Amino acid sequence: MNRYEMIYIIDADLEEAARKELIEKVSALITNNGGEIEKVDETWGKRRLAYAIDYKTEGWYVLVNFNAPVELPRELERNLQINENVLRYLVIKLVEKRSSVKPRAERPAPVAAPVDEAPVAEEAAPAVAAEEAPAADAE
Amino acid sequence: MSEERGERRPRPRGGRRPRRKVCSFCVDKIEYIDYKDINRLRRFTNERGKILPRRMSGNCAKHQRQLSEAIKRARAIALMPYTVE
Repeated sequence: MNRYEMIYIIDADLEEAARKELIEKVSALITNNGGEIEKVDETWGKRRLAYAIDYKTEGWYVLVNFNAPVELPRELERNLQINENVLRYLVIKLVEKRSSVKPRAERPAPVAAPVDEAPVAEEAAPAVAAEEAPAADAE
Repeated sequence: MSEERGERRPRPRGGRRPRRKVCSFCVDKIEYIDYKDINRLRRFTNERGKILPRRMSGNCAKHQRQLSEAIKRARAIALMPYTVE
């Protein structure tokens, strides 16, 4: 079982009843093939598309999070491909390994800081000394 | 490390040395760049919709890879444009 996230765009011209039915159908497809749905998020709703798809400028976005065996996304994509009311879909596998990355992200700062300051300090010190020396001579 | 030095070396004296850019994703401690976060992603594309190179955005290699992946996903589902004319 893997965690997946799917987002698909339904034709915005589709009436509400037909849209509900389609969302149900997709959800059923997941559960009937050994997957379990975590969340179906329809709050995205109707959105303007960044570019026209089939001459349509708006689409209804649906986001689904689910757990499923590895064979399911392929089957799911096959079905979404067939349905002409689905303009686009994207199924991605969610990565769990986020914590393993964290300790390294903090490393660059302390390493970079001394390297940055060292040459500046060296340049500054002789310059100040050189300026003071002639001034002292003049007096 | 080595690339940090590489950026400094070419200008030994005179001339203002450019401030070292810091990866904004490292600063915000973001470990996974979400393709749905288009407001953030949009900052890393130019007005034509192209992905900014690392030398302009200042991102670290790891986050730049994740970023380009996220932008490409966002493009695929029409959240972001491929091109802006």
